Amino acid sequence: MAAPWVRQGFDMMPMPILSIANLSKHFGGIHALNGIDLHITEGEILGLIGPNGAGKTALINTITGFYRADSGQMDFMGHSLVGRSLHDIGRLGIGRTFQNIRLFKRMSVLENVMVANKTYAAHPWSAFWGFGQRRKAVDEAMHWLHTMHLDAKADVSAQSLSYGDARRLEIARALAGYPSLLLLDEPAAGMNEGETEALIQDIHTARSQVKAMLLIEHDMGLIRSLSDRVVAMDYGRKIAEGSAASVLAHPEVKKAYLGEDE
Amino acid sequence: MIADHLFFTCINILLAWSVYVSLLTGSLSFAQGAFMAVGCYASGYFTAKMGMPMLPATGLAALISALIAALVGYPALRLRGIYLILATLGLTFCIRVLLENMDFLGGIGGFGGMKGGDLPKAAVAVVLIGIALWLLSISPLQRVFDAVREDDRVAAALGINVTAIRLIGFSAGAAIAAVAGMLYGHYMSFVRPENFDVTLSIYVVLYLVLGGVNNLYGAILGAAIMTLLPEYIRFLADWRPTVFGAAILVLLLFRPDGLLSFRPRTALSKHGRALGAPGV
Amino acid sequence: MLAGQIVNGLVSGAMYALVAIGFTLIIGVLDKLNFNHPEVFMFGGYVGLMALPHMSVAGAFAMAFLVGGLLGVLTEWMAFRRFVGSDARTTAALSSLALGLILTDLVHKVWGTEPLRLPNLTGWLSESFGLLGVNFLNLQMVLLAITFALMWALHHVIAHTRMGRQIRAVAESSAHASLLGVNVLRVNQAVFFISSGLASIAGLMLALRADTVSPDLGLTFGLKALAVMAIGGMGDMRGAVLAGLGIGVLEALMFHFGLGRLGELTVWAAMIATLLLKPAGLFASGHHGQEQRV
Repeated sequence: MAAPWVRQGFDMMPMPILSIANLSKHFGGIHALNGIDLHITEGEILGLIGPNGAGKTALINTITGFYRADSGQMDFMGHSLVGRSLHDIGRLGIGRTFQNIRLFKRMSVLENVMVANKTYAAHPWSAFWGFGQRRKAVDEAMHWLHTMHLDAKADVSAQSLSYGDARRLEIARALAGYPSLLLLDEPAAGMNEGETEALIQDIHTARSQVKAMLLIEHDMGLIRSLSDRVVAMDYGRKIAEGSAASVLAHPEVKKAYLGEDE
Repeated sequence: MIADHLFFTCINILLAWSVYVSLLTGSLSFAQGAFMAVGCYASGYFTAKMGMPMLPATGLAALISALIAALVGYPALRLRGIYLILATLGLTFCIRVLLENMDFLGGIGGFGGMKGGDLPKAAVAVVLIGIALWLLSISPLQRVFDAVREDDRVAAALGINVTAIRLIGFSAGAAIAAVAGMLYGHYMSFVRPENFDVTLSIYVVLYLVLGGVNNLYGAILGAAIMTLLPEYIRFLADWRPTVFGAAILVLLLFRPDGLLSFRPRTALSKHGRALGAPGV
Repeated sequence: MLAGQIVNGLVSGAMYALVAIGFTLIIGVLDKLNFNHPEVFMFGGYVGLMALPHMSVAGAFAMAFLVGGLLGVLTEWMAFRRFVGSDARTTAALSSLALGLILTDLVHKVWGTEPLRLPNLTGWLSESFGLLGVNFLNLQMVLLAITFALMWALHHVIAHTRMGRQIRAVAESSAHASLLGVNVLRVNQAVFFISSGLASIAGLMLALRADTVSPDLGLTFGLKALAVMAIGGMGDMRGAVLAGLGIGVLEALMFHFGLGRLGELTVWAAMIATLLLKPAGLFASGHHGQEQRV
């Protein structure tokens, strides 16, 4: 099921999906974000790298409304994100996954995805009387599970999923809201080679469903094979930007990681 | 005599359900005493002083109760649960003080003249509200509630307006408590503000905790046990708070979700079958 | 006389502050609500009832602190120790609530449900003095002095002693603190001891000022202290003190201007206002209020 906005063969100027200017967020004396400028254009996967504590998750948290920005601008497809509530931002079309996996453990795999169905999430009245719609909602949710190879586990409790399946479920759940922008926070953390390979495929699948993606990762192989462009952060600032190869070879980036291996 | 006991059991079931609906969205409310009082006094005023028939009076009283819940709850529902606990305790306390100072409603002396409450009406209320709660439990809205209860920020990120959902749960609970209040007032025919105090609110929460917080049947069990057993076991009646308190303490250690701890499943699975009750 | 009312208000405020400090201390360190707190406060008066016929007022205060502290440790053991994890806050709160029910019931059984009179105070404490045309009771001065002394002592303990450092460490993060060798259990016990001891003293103070003890005080006066804590900021001790004194004076003024029993609503109205305008607490300095919103 192709996302309705994927145009076929049209050669247009890529639209900026997300524009961030001079974004700052601090906690007490610590600057999690220190004047960040960033943009993501339509159709691209932006890789975001940086050592732990660089502010990558803080950036996602500020974009999605989990943190309130202290200053700066964030523009998402013509809407300002500054000061918006979490649910507003979600409904505008930004989906995300979490570094430490936040699934609804007491629900089944299918229910985790169904809850993200915006017909129910945004309309309690429809949700209460939604008996007739349920067939359609179940089919839709099953579609998302299918794209992430989880359809066989639909009725399994989310708590008992393996690590890799849990991460895929998070992606499926984020996709179920038909986001324009998908933010993935270290989806491959803790995975081995084989799982990471499978994940690359799944992220390619996800890519076709959204307009743009931001990918935070430590696994440089993943970054290289998926990102169209890479931004590197350290201490809340952007220290490099460009192609994956150029950023990874950048002296400051190497210094920030202090001799990290691929 | 037994009709008496059953009547009060019905009242307590309704009150426990009012806590339950609120708790479904993650809000622990200690305001049932206040909403019961509002329901009782409002409906009593409509029937006794204005001559309205019982049904519209109840509906109006429930609406007023829900509105008060939304107004007072709104500041607290946007924040962590701990604030709602404090706000609801405060609300119960304040409603009582307000009623004691409203002389046109009888003040401390009490308010009387209501009549017409009896067991059949209470039973009908229990059945109707029970059906509504059952419908809720098999609807998608139940899962939205569950999401809000389990991880409200993630739920919000998915587009769920968490504050609105909490308001719905809290107001619905207030409306149910108001119905209980109406029945109580029209049965006792004379009530005083002190009948609706913080202790009542606390007890009602504990009925739910005892019976089970995850499904609508727990309220029935908890209310039934705590209302009926003391009638037949003298010791329980004399030492009710201590026995109750001790039971809750022990229960929370071993079975924190209450005696009936299963969670209801939404009716459809991927195959379109309705699933049975024992859940995750 | 307005000045007299204000002093009255300060004394009430001091008591609110003592109870609120204890409550907020437990929130700051364990991030949990202790609903047995108001009942321990109530029980302080009864300790006085038992102790005063046999010892001096000072001795009674010491007893109150001790008994309250022990009740606190008991509460920690029965209602808080086993509960760790995500739902633990609610379960612990409910457990402490159940414990409070039991305590109140025991008080009912032993002393009845009606208020009782304390033995009359004799000697210096029952006298008054005049200053600038206003009549002050010696008792009021003593109560204020005790409160400020206790607050200073608490501040000293938290800021300058080893136990205080450990408490602060656990308040930041119990996991990190235990990795650093802090005995988290001992710290929790100490926190409960101090917090409940203070509440018990406050209860005795109220009993002395009002000349009576009553089992209902927990759910009336004690509950208001919870609101004071919310106004001051959860987990913020300085906030609890300022809010307590402020509310005490505000309430006294409300009564003075003839609002009668409606003055009881003052503290709750103030709490609603705080939640609307500055949910982290009017006087809060700390980070506990961060990310409170959804």
